Amino acid sequence: MQKKEPRLNGGRAGALLAPYSLWSLIFILVPLVFVAYYAFTDESFRFTTENITRFFTATSNLKADDGTVSEVRTYLVIFSRSFKLALISTLICLVLGYPMAYIMARAKVRTQKTMMTLVMIPMWMNFLIRTYAWMTILQDTGILNNFLTGLGLPVVRIIGTETAVVIGMVYDFFPYMILPIYSIMAKMDVKLLEAARDLGCNGFGVLKRVIFPLSLPGVISGVTMVLIPSISTFYISQKLGNGKFFLIGDAIEGQYIANNLHFAAAIAFIMMVILLVFMGVFRYLTSKVVSGGE
Amino acid sequence: MLLAYCFFILPAQAERGAIMEKIIELKNISKSFDGETVLDHISLDIYDNEFITLLGPSGCGKTTLLRMIGGFANPDEGDILFMGERLNDTPPHKRNVNTVFQKYALFPHLNVFENVAFPLRERGVKKAEIKEQVMKMLSLVMLEGFAERSVTSLSGGQQQRVAIARALINHPKVLLLDEPLGALDLKLRKDMQQELKKIQKSTGITFVFVTHDQEEALSMSDTIVVLSEGRIQQIGTPTDIYNEPVNAFVADFIGESNILDGVMPENFKARFSGHTFSCLDKDFAPGEPVDVVVRPEDVDIVPKDEGMLSGVVTQVTFMGVHNEIIVDIGGFKWMIQTTESVNVGEHIGISLDPDAIHIMKKSKYSGVFGDYSSYSNELDELSDPGGEE
Amino acid sequence: MKWSSKLYTTLIFIFLFAPIVILLVFSFNEAKSLSVFSGFSFRWYEELFSDEATLESLKNSLILALSATVISTVMGTVAALGIYRLRKKWYRALLNTVTNIPMINPDIITGISMMLLFVFVGRMFSASTSLNFWTMLIAHVTFCLPYVIFQVLPKLNQMDGDLMEAAQDLGCTPFRAFFKVTLPEILPGIITGAIMAFTLSLDDFVISYFTSGNDFQTLPIRIYGMTKKTVTPKMYALATIIFFVTLALLLLNNLVDNDDSRKLREKKKKSKAELLEE
Repeated sequence: MQKKEPRLNGGRAGALLAPYSLWSLIFILVPLVFVAYYAFTDESFRFTTENITRFFTATSNLKADDGTVSEVRTYLVIFSRSFKLALISTLICLVLGYPMAYIMARAKVRTQKTMMTLVMIPMWMNFLIRTYAWMTILQDTGILNNFLTGLGLPVVRIIGTETAVVIGMVYDFFPYMILPIYSIMAKMDVKLLEAARDLGCNGFGVLKRVIFPLSLPGVISGVTMVLIPSISTFYISQKLGNGKFFLIGDAIEGQYIANNLHFAAAIAFIMMVILLVFMGVFRYLTSKVVSGGE
Repeated sequence: MLLAYCFFILPAQAERGAIMEKIIELKNISKSFDGETVLDHISLDIYDNEFITLLGPSGCGKTTLLRMIGGFANPDEGDILFMGERLNDTPPHKRNVNTVFQKYALFPHLNVFENVAFPLRERGVKKAEIKEQVMKMLSLVMLEGFAERSVTSLSGGQQQRVAIARALINHPKVLLLDEPLGALDLKLRKDMQQELKKIQKSTGITFVFVTHDQEEALSMSDTIVVLSEGRIQQIGTPTDIYNEPVNAFVADFIGESNILDGVMPENFKARFSGHTFSCLDKDFAPGEPVDVVVRPEDVDIVPKDEGMLSGVVTQVTFMGVHNEIIVDIGGFKWMIQTTESVNVGEHIGISLDPDAIHIMKKSKYSGVFGDYSSYSNELDELSDPGGEE
Repeated sequence: MKWSSKLYTTLIFIFLFAPIVILLVFSFNEAKSLSVFSGFSFRWYEELFSDEATLESLKNSLILALSATVISTVMGTVAALGIYRLRKKWYRALLNTVTNIPMINPDIITGISMMLLFVFVGRMFSASTSLNFWTMLIAHVTFCLPYVIFQVLPKLNQMDGDLMEAAQDLGCTPFRAFFKVTLPEILPGIITGAIMAFTLSLDDFVISYFTSGNDFQTLPIRIYGMTKKTVTPKMYALATIIFFVTLALLLLNNLVDNDDSRKLREKKKKSKAELLEE
């Protein structure tokens, strides 16, 4: 970054910034404080840790596939399920998206633009409708199964399984993985790749030792941009999971509908904290990989 | 100044190729991009242990040629031989050739040590040996204390040294350098020139150096290859190239020169500017039209009446060691470098010794270059706005 | 491109476009089925255009999106100008972080947090219902602002800083200099930002869901309500229309962008010889 010289009118920055500073204070920062405030108060706004405790201790009966019923910590189960499904989806997006971004970045400039637009187009379809479209594809009497039975193959039951939820998440958030990785790869200096080949790397070596480490910032933002909406989604699981797999988002929405705002805030608060910690650790780990080199 | 380089700094050149072994042979190489010919039937031998420079203006094809040796471009036609073996389809990582890239291409995610160690790690060299070799290489380029530094925190000159260390650590037979000094400031560039030369001598590795800077080429090279428009114009030692340019392009590109139209009435005689001069050239057809090159520092200033030619001084520029003066002789603006002081408007004579006159055959470059008119090319273009944008 | 790359790309695009194609196709289905295509008809489009509630929600969405776009574009551009001129490093870093929050935070948290604020303030004034059009508008402006700012700011940074001074040196007042020099330079960024704000606002469901009252329903909220029950291809017809409208906007935006790239191409052509050497 080059240093900017102080410009004429530099003094006016304050006046220009006042509306936005005020706005972001009131409507971005203060609401976040309110999440914490509600999370730690009861209906009459007296301090309490009850909401938080409830999150960790509330139990319910879970019926397993074989019919046995066991008592589980409701929200901890929901939480770990959310994390599990979101992590799986993120991983799939990364595994599928990384080669795609790589191919795009190495294509001709005009092809790159077209592919970019094509990748982005599905994002402009409302996500409720996108998800619903998958429901009509995957359901037992849906298009996929019509196709399979047409070929004389048995019907596959996907809707109402975790697989369906993962498919929905991957589909809805896939472009968020490709775009950041692609944009960093497209900017990568071709000379660096040539230098690596010059110094003895074959194609795979270049990928492993130069392209991948240099693309890590893109991977980090891609993972962030897929993981966060996957964890917090509340529609996909209802539609594609047939409501069998409650996720954190569903839990928050449920409490909101039931007008338990304080408990909803508590769940949101805990999710926020865990996400912050998780992303912090993730960034720390990946930064170590980058600077460590080997 | 240039002449000083040639006479005092450059060591006597051995007859090229007499005892040395050919390491790279380029045979009849052609290449075009989008229908534009970049290289036009180039043939060139590069010998072991020599410092060879590909010199030419931008767009002459020198970098493309270098990239072909490195394996980053393929010729449309022709062969590249490496120690007698055809190399055309060998990928870069399998060639015993390394490159110092123009803007260094250091890996920003690795520190200095890891950048230099990169090729060794690729080959799976043992840890202890890597450390030893890298440290040795860093001391060769005088960067011992910088191993753990991030490459992005280094100055241009230091980055340059890392790039050289990295390219040398595999002990390539040939090192390719693509305008490596272009990004450095003048003083640093001079230092690096000396140092590169020293490294080349001490390692015995063949250096193929690409530059558009003729001074750099003259001061560093054993052999210079002058390229223009995809063709080799001249191959020779710096002294040869400077003293005996083969055509107007080379004469103009290497150093300053006055290029005049002339004819050769007989051997050892050249006639131009309405006067017949003695010269050292022969073997031209009687009356053959030629280009005549006279270097500005070879012109002697004499009183008006004693001169072979005479004219009026139109411009005097003080250059430090000498004065650069423009003299109008019969409409042709001569550039003359002299230590004598003359004044604008003064009527002077000039005298040329036989060895100051270089005769060249007519070429496609005849008439393109010539005198030093009082305005630059840019002004020329401004007065002709109808031309190319 | 290698054949393996082509194959891979094709498969990915099939995955990305299959649901959309199916949706488009079934919006023209004669029957109500979403899995068996029995014949071509405009039936669902006709039904859509006679569905008052959906049309009303569409109108609401457009009003909301337009208002949010205008407000966030103006405020975001002014904010970007402020940030560009800001000399205090810590303030710059702070604003940068805060501006990032709505983009990185899960939508559900942005929605919930604003809802809590609105409800709390509503209680303070003992309002019967605290969520309405205005709360939604505030929410939409809030999540659109960062996109406008981050589109305009790079254009400002790319701009030659001497331009403003040159204009003033040549006799413009700072105010006029802004309109004559700065604005044309950053206009592509402003337009892209505005288009992004508009489409994001039109498309948003999660944040709207938490900040909307009963009296003002937007299209995505209406769709959500509809998908709670069985869906008719009417919704697919609606999706098809929205899809093509947003596609048109996207292409329009690309045209704006292409103007830049065309200039770049021309420049490239000029210095082709040098580029070959690079």
